[in-house]
Amino acid sequence: MHDDDNKDPQTADSLNRRRFLAGLAAWSAGALAAPPVFNLLPAAAQTGKPVLVVAKGTDYEALVAKAMEPLGGLEPFVKKGGRVVVKPNMGWDRTPEQAANTHPLVVKAMVKLCLAAGAGKVMVFDRSCNDCRRAYASSGIMAAVESLHDPRATCVYMDDRKFLPVAIKNGKAINEWEFYRDALEADSYINLPIAKHHGLARLTLGLKNVMGVIGGRRGQIHQSLPDKLVDLNSVVKPCLTLVDATRILLRNGPSGGNLDDVKVLHTLVASPDIVAADAFATTLFDMSPDALETTRVAAQRGLGIMDLHKIKIVRV
Amino acid sequence: MNRQQGNPVKSQFKSIFAEIPWTWLRRLTQLVLLLLFLYLFRMTESNGTDHLNAAANIIFRIDPLTSVCTILASRQLIPLLWPAVITAALTLLLGRFFCGWICPLGTLLDVAGHLIPRRLLHDCKVPSDGRQCQPAALTLSKARYFLLTMIMLSALLGVQLIGFLSPFSILLRAMTVALDPFLTWIVSAPFTWLVRYAPDSVTGISEPIFAWLKGHILAFAQGTFLWSGISLSILIAVFALELVDRRFWCRYLCPSGALFGILARFSLLKRIPGRVCRSCQAETSCAEKCRMGAFNENEDLLPESCNMCMDCVSGCPLKRAGFRFKLSGQSAAAPYAQSRRLFLASAAAGAAIPLVARSVSAELPPALIRPPGVRLEPEFLDLCLRCGECLKVCTTNALQPVLFEAGLTGLFTPRLIPRMGYCEYNCRLCGQVCPSGAIPLLPLTEKHKFVMGLAVFNKKLCLPYAKGESCITCEEHCPLPQKAIEFKEVETKDTSGNKVKVKQPFTVFSRCIGCGICVTKCPIEGDAGVEVLRKDAVPIAVKEEYKKLEPSL
Repeated sequence: MHDDDNKDPQTADSLNRRRFLAGLAAWSAGALAAPPVFNLLPAAAQTGKPVLVVAKGTDYEALVAKAMEPLGGLEPFVKKGGRVVVKPNMGWDRTPEQAANTHPLVVKAMVKLCLAAGAGKVMVFDRSCNDCRRAYASSGIMAAVESLHDPRATCVYMDDRKFLPVAIKNGKAINEWEFYRDALEADSYINLPIAKHHGLARLTLGLKNVMGVIGGRRGQIHQSLPDKLVDLNSVVKPCLTLVDATRILLRNGPSGGNLDDVKVLHTLVASPDIVAADAFATTLFDMSPDALETTRVAAQRGLGIMDLHKIKIVRV
Repeated sequence: MNRQQGNPVKSQFKSIFAEIPWTWLRRLTQLVLLLLFLYLFRMTESNGTDHLNAAANIIFRIDPLTSVCTILASRQLIPLLWPAVITAALTLLLGRFFCGWICPLGTLLDVAGHLIPRRLLHDCKVPSDGRQCQPAALTLSKARYFLLTMIMLSALLGVQLIGFLSPFSILLRAMTVALDPFLTWIVSAPFTWLVRYAPDSVTGISEPIFAWLKGHILAFAQGTFLWSGISLSILIAVFALELVDRRFWCRYLCPSGALFGILARFSLLKRIPGRVCRSCQAETSCAEKCRMGAFNENEDLLPESCNMCMDCVSGCPLKRAGFRFKLSGQSAAAPYAQSRRLFLASAAAGAAIPLVARSVSAELPPALIRPPGVRLEPEFLDLCLRCGECLKVCTTNALQPVLFEAGLTGLFTPRLIPRMGYCEYNCRLCGQVCPSGAIPLLPLTEKHKFVMGLAVFNKKLCLPYAKGESCITCEEHCPLPQKAIEFKEVETKDTSGNKVKVKQPFTVFSRCIGCGICVTKCPIEGDAGVEVLRKDAVPIAVKEEYKKLEPSL
């Protein structure tokens, strides 16, 4: 069953994206001198309220399907034979219980749903902060994806050679940054962050998860963080954000390490609207939805809706 | 005349022995073991878990010289090195077989020797009257005993020299810091070019090839090491010596070989006949064939120089030459006597070196951080073999060779350079790979608490202090479950003069272990806004200042 406002949410974006990809190909082949420009688009006019699903349950694999049901499953988000990127948080050399990375079962379930919806390729990767071999292994995500034994689903280390500079035309704080080619070329980019504490940002949720597909010295993003995150998120716009709040990290994030800082919630928050997802996920930490400056700036600049009264919240 | 001709068992043994293609067998063994060595070298890197499945450090654990020097230097028995007892025992049985069949450097020198046609100092030529050999060769062969004695005595008196003269340290260190990074770079470069400029039809073929190479032959990441030219030059010099004489290093310099040679003098496996046959009809006599120059001026075979390569056995047209197990009687060689003068000279050198080296060594610089687990510098210098295994295995390429920052004796020992890489919190690979235990293998809970150094901020560079810009990338990455970097929200002015509120970081010294990730990730171009200093080098004023910032502990 499709809601009207979920019918092909990418139409306006896909036109722009196709033009951008053509420019990207031309630039990579040396035909263009300057990197391609990605225009900042205002959010497409919504015909109804954006939907946000809050799912609770202890069987995490089944929980993902349960959370996607009110959104129409993965069919509205994945086209047959399409290239899908499932972008978890896999940045840290931490075990699943330590709540620093997305839960491997959540990632596995999402990949499985994408494959069932007819994806041609599902790529799982992250530019980890710790050594990628350790982070991919300790998080359990690499093993989880490989356990599917499906050649269409891959979880491989990122390749330094595949970062391409992208010009952000109406960027407020940055005009250009390097992005991972596979993320840029995805037909569907699915954002799969974990909800956790962060010293500078207070919390890191869906908007900050884009940090895992950019190149360069990422510490520089920390200056004027909210505006820079919005600039980055305008380039790689996720069609779906599913916040892993199965367990959340309350303190000493984003790396954590102390199980006393972890609170188990058995919750997933899913929405096509990244700002709505972040706003709701913030409340799980006993904070108000507008508590994070990044969420406020993203809403102001049109990336999504922060006001939870303007969102249709479905609890399953 | 073969005295055993009457004994049927012994003559059966002799005919079986003569039928086996020894040279071919030896070459095959050398090849297989060299490939194994290269495989182990490739395996000496992180695989994502905290376990090393295999490592090239085995070569040190089976080398008797490494054991002897490490025991002498540390004055304790090191359990890690017990496999060397097996090698020593086998040498007593089989002679200096290690040098001929096992040693990877020996194998590589043999290959080089085949490719280098000219010799400046010819192999021992036997003039027609059958007596004099080149005296130069014999004098030179004493050099390895000089080096051996010098190393052992120096180790006993406190300066570990084995890193500079052990064939395995020389080979592995050069491979780690120079050859392997170069190989990775030169193989990757064309594929990178293709990925940038070639059409998809080409990269569709080149990328899978590159992926296979990356997964099976190349190192995981492009490593970078300081001072790599020096270690490479030493290895090149060893190979360049092949221009002078075959197996020059093995014959005249190698101290491990010298020690094997001393044991080989007692070996049960002896060559029969123990000298060149007077009636030799061959085109080249055994003495001329010998790659080790093991025949002396009387054309007797010296067991301490023979590396059991079997060339003389395979090359004997009458199939007369062979090896037998003989309990009694030396092969008819003159008893070896290292001249007393030479011994005294090498002992003097071995004693002098520690005196000189210790007198010019200075205090450790404040930013010289040792790998985790290293407590006392003198003990570390005694045990470190300068082999480069820790450099190779370090997950983040943080460990780098020291030049003279740690004094003359610190050359090639490892230090952690946080701006190049950091110590991964849950990683203990360096402790696992160190053949002598210079870097101990700590239990993970202990390693998590081991203080290598302390992070100190430079307020002239650190962005929140110097420019009023928000950052704290350092705090973000601090791996401790309770972070060692905290921040204080402060009102200050930015570079445009605006009033801003920024989070300014400071170190909680009671928690910091000096892993250096804060330094690695600091986003400032050039020098980082924070550095790791040795615990005893942090100024007291800084300690007081940071203590005041802590809310309450």
